[in-house]
Amino acid sequence: MARFLLTRLGLAAITLFLLSVFVFVGANLLPGNVARRKLGNLADQSAVDQLNHQLGTDKPILVQYWNWISGLLHGDLGTSLSYNLPVNELIGPALTHSVKLAAFAFVMVVPLAILGGILAALKRDKLTDRLITIGGLSLTVVPEFVTGIMLILVFGLWLDLFPVSANAPDGASFLTELKYLFLPALTLVIVLFGYIARITRAGTIEALDADYTRTAALKGLPRRVVIRRHVLRNSLLPTIAVVATQTGYLIGGLVVIETLFNYPGMGRLIFTAANDKDFPLLASSVLLVGIVFLVATLLADIAYSLLNPRIRYATAE
Amino acid sequence: MDDTQRRVDAIRNERSELENHIIDEYSAGKITRREFVRRGTVVGMSIPLVSFLAAACGGGDGGETTGAGTTPTATGEIQAGGAVRVALIQPTTEPNPLLVQDEGGAGLLGSTGEFLSFSNAELELEPRIAETWEPNEDGTVWTFKIRQGVKFHSGATLVADDVKTTFDKLINPDGGSANAQSALGGVLSPGGIEAPDDSTVVFNLDAANGNFPTLVSSANYNAIIIPADLDPADWGKTFEGTGPFKMESFSPKVGAKFVRNDAYWGTKANPDSMELKFYDEEGPMIVALQGGEVDFVEHFSVSGGKALLDDPNVNVIAVKAATHRQLHMRTDKEPFTDKRVRQAIALSIDRQALVDGLWEGQADVGNDSPFAPLYPSTDTSVAQREQDLEQAKQLLSDAGMTSFSVDLSTWNGFEIPDLAQLVKQYASQIGVTINLKITDAGTYYGDGVFGKSTWLDSVMGITDYGHRPVPNVYLTAPLSGDPKVGVWNSAHFKNDQYDSLVKQYVAALDIDSQKGVAKQIEELLLDETPIVFPYFYYFLSASKKNLLNTVSAATGQFDLSKAGFTT
Repeated sequence: MARFLLTRLGLAAITLFLLSVFVFVGANLLPGNVARRKLGNLADQSAVDQLNHQLGTDKPILVQYWNWISGLLHGDLGTSLSYNLPVNELIGPALTHSVKLAAFAFVMVVPLAILGGILAALKRDKLTDRLITIGGLSLTVVPEFVTGIMLILVFGLWLDLFPVSANAPDGASFLTELKYLFLPALTLVIVLFGYIARITRAGTIEALDADYTRTAALKGLPRRVVIRRHVLRNSLLPTIAVVATQTGYLIGGLVVIETLFNYPGMGRLIFTAANDKDFPLLASSVLLVGIVFLVATLLADIAYSLLNPRIRYATAE
Repeated sequence: MDDTQRRVDAIRNERSELENHIIDEYSAGKITRREFVRRGTVVGMSIPLVSFLAAACGGGDGGETTGAGTTPTATGEIQAGGAVRVALIQPTTEPNPLLVQDEGGAGLLGSTGEFLSFSNAELELEPRIAETWEPNEDGTVWTFKIRQGVKFHSGATLVADDVKTTFDKLINPDGGSANAQSALGGVLSPGGIEAPDDSTVVFNLDAANGNFPTLVSSANYNAIIIPADLDPADWGKTFEGTGPFKMESFSPKVGAKFVRNDAYWGTKANPDSMELKFYDEEGPMIVALQGGEVDFVEHFSVSGGKALLDDPNVNVIAVKAATHRQLHMRTDKEPFTDKRVRQAIALSIDRQALVDGLWEGQADVGNDSPFAPLYPSTDTSVAQREQDLEQAKQLLSDAGMTSFSVDLSTWNGFEIPDLAQLVKQYASQIGVTINLKITDAGTYYGDGVFGKSTWLDSVMGITDYGHRPVPNVYLTAPLSGDPKVGVWNSAHFKNDQYDSLVKQYVAALDIDSQKGVAKQIEELLLDETPIVFPYFYYFLSASKKNLLNTVSAATGQFDLSKAGFTT
């Protein structure tokens, strides 16, 4: 197990390094520069050059990258070029917001989708199955901004049941925060339900059709016990993998939903940083999301091996 | 009557040449009472003085200045106190008075900061930090009297030196405000400002400028007066200013909270607090207003906010503005080297249809020059160019260009893509094929210099221009043949007669002379047509029905100190 973890950490470090290089290079390929973005399209070129010099963005890209990475290794994420604030002061609140929304959505969608998938598999090809699969797929296919706008219109404006933006006022109680987060979280649930449910359904069907399940049933075990002890832990394997890969999206990829609900999360932060060519902010944010993603998949792999002894014994060799 | 006349004469004896000229024009009926009030305040006459003269010297044409730019004033009906929530577009940079060049940032600066004067919706200048101002004989030196007893939020007293250093920092070529310099470049140079005593600031201009007070008013939104010892880079920590609100908290990318300043020199703010919430996009702002999460939307567009225009629960405040688009055609490159081709394109466009279609009527038709209808110096007697497809086709055939194709470059923002599509359609009606190349702002503007910017290099393009209270900048930067001045000259227009006319306009101190030159400029540009100015659209704000007395100006400035709720 220890060797497994060490190898994974090592690979993670390499992945993150490559990610950071890619972000720096990619952002630099875009036209425009930081000072021009800050001072505007109509500013004098000499003023732009001067600000670029002040910010250090006229240095070669390798130098900028090196400065940033050496700072990072000392725990200093750098200073945002657009906002003139330490990057961690911007990332901290954004990350907290993203985690809250992601957690809320997660808590709603995962149990719901797993139950839905299992139910669909148990009632395979019957009406329930059709409703869940086709219904779920239709909802997933609808773009998230359409779903979001519909929810805002119906529940926010017409029925006036929920707030139309996601950011609760300062000092709001936990329940109030949940109220504010409900619509965006619901949007995510609608978007992700179909996908996760289908994967669970496929896994469950595969487990249901397996030899060991038939053996267990033939042994005389009640159906309920068969499902609980033999089917579930096998059917959930693909689901865990899928859910883990969604974590990165939930933390750093919700640009559309965050914009729609005016929620200051990581998605919007990264998007603006990319547009502004704010390298320190962009690179640090993307790296953070990368870390979240890698941790999630690592946890998924560990859960996987816990659930599936065959994997456990394989890695132990 | 005699007594009044004697008083008027006494007053006139003390006024400057320029001010007397304005009074003459008003007495002779050449300008309306409203125009007199506007010109008078711009030139430095106090409002009580102007009101007195307006009544004494005119026939009283009954045109009271209506509160354009404000919500209906229901006297006595608004409650004291209250917490106003404002939706503001996301500021793009840190709150540093030197760096701000966007609407969101301007909103932050104006929330606690004050200017020498406030340029309101009718282009009148209301005194703030400056009490009065007046020019010398030829308009090359302007002297401002600074209000005494004004305190910064920190408690320090404001003196003339703070004003002087504020402007020194702004126009400093080494690290000043690019935005402020675009307005003051060629007008005011470093070293030209003096503060001989605590209550006087003297501006020595590079050249006579009749519009100077407007250039240092709130219209120049970087020009909030800050303490002499404050580094503008630190302004964001305290939002130091003298205004009716002071900062309580600021969260970058989220919003800011302000509370009433009880030590304000003027009428204390009515609301207890003002909260600004930042929005990245317009849609959520509008939904927030309708959903009751904000009370005031600082700015919305017609295309994004159609729902608000018809909503009975919303007050729409429309302020005439000079915000516009420029459709440039490079005069030095085929197919536009022949002015007849440029005129043909201009004649193919149905401007009223654009105003109705793109702006729901919330815009004025443009006449292919920077002279927007709202400017007092615009000569409106010049014939308005209308769509004339027959003449357009005739001009093309005269020029031997009966059918050709050309690329039109622009970027994907506001209504610009729609405008580009419509221009393409109009052009196809006269046999011209336009290929649209629509990208994003960063790509279109590029590095903002010739050779590295689609905006400045393209043969045909559409550029967006923000509002300015006087047309000076529009006349020079996009059209001047002098490469040092014409830094935005995407049409590569070079016309010596034009340049000399513009020089005359800038130096003209009174309305008549300005109008006379404007007429010539308008006619020249209609003939040459390097740029099509299709419209000048209004600045729209919105408030909930129960929020009254909000004040908006076309520069994006808003003043909520007098606002209040009815229920």
